[in-house]
Amino acid sequence: MKLVELTEAPQPFEGLLQHRPELRSLYKRFYGTFWDEALLPRSLLELCRLRIAQLHDCEAELAVTDTRSGVPDNQRVGLDRWEAADCFSPLDRAALAIAELMPWQHHSMTDAQFATLREHLDEKQCVALVVALALFDANCRLRLVFELPASPASEPAFSSGLLH
Amino acid sequence: MSTTPRVSSAIAGQPPHFGSVMAQQPELLQRFGALYATFWSHGVVDHRTKEVARMRNARITDCGY
Repeated sequence: MKLVELTEAPQPFEGLLQHRPELRSLYKRFYGTFWDEALLPRSLLELCRLRIAQLHDCEAELAVTDTRSGVPDNQRVGLDRWEAADCFSPLDRAALAIAELMPWQHHSMTDAQFATLREHLDEKQCVALVVALALFDANCRLRLVFELPASPASEPAFSSGLLH
Repeated sequence: MSTTPRVSSAIAGQPPHFGSVMAQQPELLQRFGALYATFWSHGVVDHRTKEVARMRNARITDCGY
């Protein structure tokens, strides 16, 4: 049984939040900040978003691909084994180590992992990254709880665009 | 888990807390504040139910803050 019926909208996530237009608008504006303001490298956001979606086994989130992120195919293919792969930069690895723990093991994050992250990002960027990880986690939970169908999309996540 | 804040406050004179740490990114803080305030000040779910859910979520995630 569906918790809610989706409204008419180009994308399921957009259709879900359309039940509360004021929240949809504010959520989109908040989520879009990372891309609007270029708070972090776009490829880093994409890698972390996809890794968290893998951990949740969230097909709807995995169906969204930011084709302008610059993430190469070998990284997309190797992302589920990133710890053993040699195609990720030290920054990628430091961020993925934090992302890896966000959905189910957030209490296991260590000061050493954050110290490694700080070797590559300043404090402002670290705050942006952790907030982004929390949002990626939340988005997967929303999609899974509401059983949103996978709907392939490649549009960037600007706040003025659709929420995929 | 560490009990020492991992990032500093961006507001002079204030210790690290949710708002002062997020203030490292003012645009994020402003947009989050607008969204979160709307959750609490508008809507079809009564305030008590939201607060019970918030507290239960904090306990499940073992978040003493």
